[in-house]
Amino acid sequence: MKILINLAFQSLFSRKATVFLTVISLTVSIVLFLSIDTLRLGAKKSFFGNVKSGDLILGSRSGEIQLLLYSLFQIGNPTNNISWESYKEISKKTEIAWIVPISLGDSHKQFRVMGTTKEYFQKYSYRKGQKLQYQFGTHFQNTFDVVIGSDVAKMLNYQLDDSIIIAHGIASQSLHDEFPFKVKGILQKTGTSVDKLVLVSLEALEAIHKDWKAGSKIPIKGVNNKKNFKEQDLIPKEITAAIIKLKSPITIFKIQREINDYEYEPLQAIIPGIVLTKLWQIVSVTENIMLTISAMVIVSALIGLIAILYSTLNNRRREMALLRIVGASPRTIFSLLLLEALIISFLSILFSIILTQLLNFFLFPILDYKYGIYLENSFLLLKDFYFFVIVLFTAVIVSIFPALQAYKNSINDGM
Amino acid sequence: MNNALDIKNLLFKWNKKDGFSLKIKNLSIKRNKKVIMFGQSGSGKSTLLNLISGILSPVSGTIIIKDTITNNLSSNKKDLFRANNIGVIFQQFNILDYISPINNIMLPCFFTNFKKKNKKFFYNRAFNLATKLDLKRNILLQKNSSQLSVGQKQRIAIIRAVINKPFLIVADEPTSALDNKNKVNFLDLLVNICDTEKITLLMVSHDTSLKKYFDSYITLEKIVQK
Repeated sequence: MKILINLAFQSLFSRKATVFLTVISLTVSIVLFLSIDTLRLGAKKSFFGNVKSGDLILGSRSGEIQLLLYSLFQIGNPTNNISWESYKEISKKTEIAWIVPISLGDSHKQFRVMGTTKEYFQKYSYRKGQKLQYQFGTHFQNTFDVVIGSDVAKMLNYQLDDSIIIAHGIASQSLHDEFPFKVKGILQKTGTSVDKLVLVSLEALEAIHKDWKAGSKIPIKGVNNKKNFKEQDLIPKEITAAIIKLKSPITIFKIQREINDYEYEPLQAIIPGIVLTKLWQIVSVTENIMLTISAMVIVSALIGLIAILYSTLNNRRREMALLRIVGASPRTIFSLLLLEALIISFLSILFSIILTQLLNFFLFPILDYKYGIYLENSFLLLKDFYFFVIVLFTAVIVSIFPALQAYKNSINDGM
Repeated sequence: MNNALDIKNLLFKWNKKDGFSLKIKNLSIKRNKKVIMFGQSGSGKSTLLNLISGILSPVSGTIIIKDTITNNLSSNKKDLFRANNIGVIFQQFNILDYISPINNIMLPCFFTNFKKKNKKFFYNRAFNLATKLDLKRNILLQKNSSQLSVGQKQRIAIIRAVINKPFLIVADEPTSALDNKNKVNFLDLLVNICDTEKITLLMVSHDTSLKKYFDSYITLEKIVQK
């Protein structure tokens, strides 16, 4: 066997130009497949990482996917708000361990502003139960303090105590410029939508909207300025949604039913994991198409491998004849061809592992920084090894055809 | 065991080549003799050597080498028998360019009993034979064989044919592409080594001037039945 391996290696080395091109084409296709798979899993992990905090999301009655997207991912707009009274009423349920309200609607330089309470910073968790950590500062202490996600700080180059102005609505030019906020905390990178959030207190949101009716500013003389808002009642009238954590998961469906049947206001509660799975099933069609395309690229590279083996067979007839004459059996010739295909595939896999790791090292930070796609830099997973075994196995299977041809030639060819 | 090779009632037919067949009633070659076989191009000289070396199988008849009916052996045993007992020299010497000269020589050993204990013996034998044929050690140890001269290739082909101490060497027109000087050198070396190693030699050629190097000659057309 050692002799065959040596012969195969030396024979391949003697045809290094064509072998190199074959290895490159197979390497690129394997890297493409692995990269698409990493992106797919990374995106999935990143999305599902957002839904670790609560058991239920409370919101106004609308599409469940829509509620999930705007409440946890800040994608799209809420169709309606829920009243503070209903929120307080539901929060009295004994099965609830904690409930955190969120309020959306405003923005700051294209980053979403989210009103919430201090509990949000303690209760929010993502991937593997990780909690929010501060790079700098802490949560808001005063009404007009703001905590920003790491992407916001990085993109807008904000530091602690910087002053920021919030705009009314998502793409509005109207600014709440009479209420500058002060950056009190900068969160550490989470790889979730929190990185792109500007977090303020519910009271602050209530205060800056005192003068606003139906999306327009109606100044009321002497009522609303920074000096006198302590005198006003800053308890919010409405919120967008709330994240609910139950004491026991057994009560999820009971509470969900009770919220859905709430008689004073049309509310709904969704189980984020289930809704996200439904959403992912829709998206999975695209990811399956991408995976299929990259698998086809591998198949075409393997066909290239057969083409190379076939094209060299005629030139190597004398070599095969010599090996037969000196005692190699047709089976040995067959094995030699298979071994060459295996070596080419193995080298391709080896190069693709190195290339993938290099891409991970250099590309992941760029994806994160430029496109906000946070991917964990993990080394090979067990499934990758299964994939490599499949590539090796397929390479052997497709190489059986040229190997059989060499076998037949070696029986018929003499001196 | 007087004869090194006995062929009786041999019939071979090419499946692909319509009409071509080779029929030999009787052919014997005595042990340790050097025999040259002449024949026209396309008369079946190479086919006969392939039959003798077990690469091709006859339709009927027997081929006996070293008291073994080789055409009755299984495919694997035939390959092993060939590697152990028959040295082959080709027209173009067939040296694998991508392996070293020493590995070219050792090829027949690789497919036989190349156990660790024999390894040293065979390598020493290769270097000794090379010294006898005026091939320096460093030439054998070159990384690959692509830079070898024609003369060096001839000698390597001879050493490879005898490395396994074969019983019989078959040579398929090894001098046909050589100039006169190289032809003489090659035959001197081959005949000499066969004498020293006590190996029976059967060489085919259409050059009748080579008779003088051999103990006897056969004309293929005379032994082939129509």
